[in-house]
Amino acid sequence: MSIINITLIVYMIASVAYIVREIWRSGAIKWISLGLLILSFCLNLTMVAKRSIEAGHPPFSNLYESLVFYACCTAFIYIIFEFVYNFRIVGALASVLSMLILFYATLQDDTIRPIMPALKSNWMLIHVVTYMLGYAAFGIAFVTSIIFLVTKPFVKKTKDDTGSEGKEILLRNFDKLSYKIVAFGFPFLTLGMITGAVWAKKAWGDYWSWDPKETWSLITWLAYLVYLHTPLVLPKMNINKSKASVMLSIWLLVAFVIVNFTFIGMNYLPSASDSAHIYGSQ
Amino acid sequence: MDHLEFSMENVKQNKSQAVVGIKKDNTKQVNQGQSGKSERGNSNKVWQFFCSVKLAVVIILIMVVACILGTVILQEKTIDEYTARYGYGLATFFKVTQLNNVFHSYWFSFLLVLLCANLISCTIKRWRNTFLQTGFILTHLSIILILVGGVVKLQLGIKGGVNVYEGKTANYFLTQIINRKGALDYVKKDLPFTIALDDFILEKNEPKFQLVSYVKSKDKSKVLDSKLGKRQRVPGSNYKVTIKDYISDAELKQEPINTSDTPENPAIFVKLFGSEKVAAEGWLLAYDRNYYEDKKQNLRIEYIWLSSQEEVEKAINSIETSNTKLSVAVSGKGVSQDYPLDLNKVFKLEGTDFSVKMLQYVLNYGDRRPVEQQPTDNPAIQVEINGPEGPETRWVFEKFLDWDKMHPAKYKNLKITCSGLASTYMAKNTVRIYQSPEGKQVIVFIKDKHITEIVPWELEKKYAIATTDRQVMVSNYFPSFDFKKEVVKKSDQIGTPAVFVEVEGPNGKVSDWVFSDNQYATWYTDNNFGLVYEPTGESVKHFISHLRIIDNEQTVAEKAIKVNDPLKYKGYVIYQSSYDPEAGNYSGLQIVKDPGIPIVYSGFGALCFGVIFIFYIKPFLRKKLKKEAEV
Repeated sequence: MSIINITLIVYMIASVAYIVREIWRSGAIKWISLGLLILSFCLNLTMVAKRSIEAGHPPFSNLYESLVFYACCTAFIYIIFEFVYNFRIVGALASVLSMLILFYATLQDDTIRPIMPALKSNWMLIHVVTYMLGYAAFGIAFVTSIIFLVTKPFVKKTKDDTGSEGKEILLRNFDKLSYKIVAFGFPFLTLGMITGAVWAKKAWGDYWSWDPKETWSLITWLAYLVYLHTPLVLPKMNINKSKASVMLSIWLLVAFVIVNFTFIGMNYLPSASDSAHIYGSQ
Repeated sequence: MDHLEFSMENVKQNKSQAVVGIKKDNTKQVNQGQSGKSERGNSNKVWQFFCSVKLAVVIILIMVVACILGTVILQEKTIDEYTARYGYGLATFFKVTQLNNVFHSYWFSFLLVLLCANLISCTIKRWRNTFLQTGFILTHLSIILILVGGVVKLQLGIKGGVNVYEGKTANYFLTQIINRKGALDYVKKDLPFTIALDDFILEKNEPKFQLVSYVKSKDKSKVLDSKLGKRQRVPGSNYKVTIKDYISDAELKQEPINTSDTPENPAIFVKLFGSEKVAAEGWLLAYDRNYYEDKKQNLRIEYIWLSSQEEVEKAINSIETSNTKLSVAVSGKGVSQDYPLDLNKVFKLEGTDFSVKMLQYVLNYGDRRPVEQQPTDNPAIQVEINGPEGPETRWVFEKFLDWDKMHPAKYKNLKITCSGLASTYMAKNTVRIYQSPEGKQVIVFIKDKHITEIVPWELEKKYAIATTDRQVMVSNYFPSFDFKKEVVKKSDQIGTPAVFVEVEGPNGKVSDWVFSDNQYATWYTDNNFGLVYEPTGESVKHFISHLRIIDNEQTVAEKAIKVNDPLKYKGYVIYQSSYDPEAGNYSGLQIVKDPGIPIVYSGFGALCFGVIFIFYIKPFLRKKLKKEAEV
């Protein structure tokens, strides 16, 4: 069995372990589920490293390689967050997300091809890594938003929202958690976009040329920028707090769809043939 | 991850949705703004409008919609392209609303100006001389800087390209514009210096090959893993493929062998000597290519295999090998008639109204040489048919029996075939080598259509061909001729790679070589599964231009530029952008001048540092400050 299939299976088992953990809530299962996810992350990272050695260039030169790396980053960001917050059920969906990304990678052409001249740059490394970490954080925020929207009707309203039991409180505040994760990912997105612009200047002579891929990366950035500014606007708009939280969570779902459209979907746009970025699918 | 821990506490304390305390500052501001409203009236209303976050969000949302439109609608195309794609009405609408060039339209510029005004007023309003505000100020100023830099680029910047041939110079470049009529146009711009292309290097990657499988019943092809020894299942089928061997430069060598003593495929190896030296030699196969022709010498050697001794006895006394005939049949009437080859004689087809006349015949249709010199590749005869609807002339091909079915003919029910045309040709000297299973071996020498000599032949014995200096010899006889195929390595370089592939399918395991120069598929025994080993297309490794900048007749700069590594001189930046796709003779250079770069790049720097400050440094500092306050 190939390493990619093993990784997919371990991601799946990790996801099941997180669900079991949600039911039993025992200390042992907590470490088992986390351990499984770390194991699948390591397997995924091995794939990235192996590919890098086999291909002889940074492993993001086509869609297959980028997706494998994307899955790896998603697991990585989640694991980091789990050490900070008690995430519980988020882990199940995060491993499913990594698994789905990796599964999508298996559908792509995985032939190793020589890297094209425009991609031979150190900017590529920092550009892709920052973007992928940003995307991964938004993926986790997407998961927490889903959980917020799904669990909202079942969570009892308590007067003392903030409580004093520390980390546990966040379970009832998945919308706030989403905000924190977005706030963590946004600088990466910004850095990814800026390094991309600097690299474009070096390679193509212009830092911004309204190429469809560039435009969509701007749309993504603006979508999260709006999200980060809304706490300043919504209190003034006479929208009740719970409604506002729902709206913001839905906004994050849409924003993550935009992320994936920028990453993969825009290749299907009519203007894609004008884009200099369409080497990803080759 | 300390600061995140902190952020969580912050939420606890703040009861707000904001994470890093922007909210706190803001509420103060809002209060101030509201209290000032009554005092300053209208001017305050305008100020309120410009510095509200609400305005910023609205502008951003409109920008998002504009950006989406700008990628869904093709941008900066000629008016003809718009009309062809969207129709006249929509094309005009796009032109009027500037949706054909969203990002350089007046309304989009207005949006950006509005955003700038919003950012400036917002920044002024919320300006605090506290260190914690650094991120806020940097990020908001950075956007202004980037936008200002963009305006500088649009006003003072220039971008174009020029193709320079190796050893030539250029002191101008071309910029591409869409003119007022909506058509593509180029404008020539002079450079304040001259660019000389001393050398242009275009290096390609080593060609790569891939094994592609094709399942006919499903019409699906799939690129297979080229790894040696890996047994892989072809997705969506039950075929399994293993690449067992690979040769980087393979050649197929075919060695003739005899597989059995029963004459299944008789063949002789014939040598033709001209004054002691071998002039020609080769295998003649009874059931395949059974003759050799030497047009120069007007000599033909035939190998005729007959099934019995009697047939040989009968055949050797006649110069005719088979009867040349023209068969005419009328479908539906049961009339069929054979005619001997006899040019220009009218044959009446009995029982019908038809008559046929043979006009001329050739041995190789389309060959301009006289009949005697033509090889017997495509014999054909031209026939004139006379019938109730008048005359029709048609060519009848010996090897293409259905030719008339596929081509228009007047008398479609008249089926004409011919046979034996090839044997009408007789060289000045013909040598017929007869053989039968019983061991009867006879050579018949024919000269000018007359038999001159009949001799039994033996292996390895020379027989002189009268009145020529040639001698003929049969040096070997294989009753069952076959080829032993062997694949050998020609060189160590990548030339014609081949893979030895084992395919497992419904008929069991079958192995064969698949060559990269074979454009046809190599089929598995069920003729449903085929393999092709093909090049993946040559890709360019890198292209480098050795440039020299000449200013005032002096070389002032020199650099080998490549993609991602341009040359800068006098505010111009020269990029390697393309190359002559056909011959690789010229280098495509992009020439850019953008005085706005320093402004934009400081904006980039400020933005990067600003977001890092807001989201990572500020929460950390706040936590520290709070702890100090608690102490």
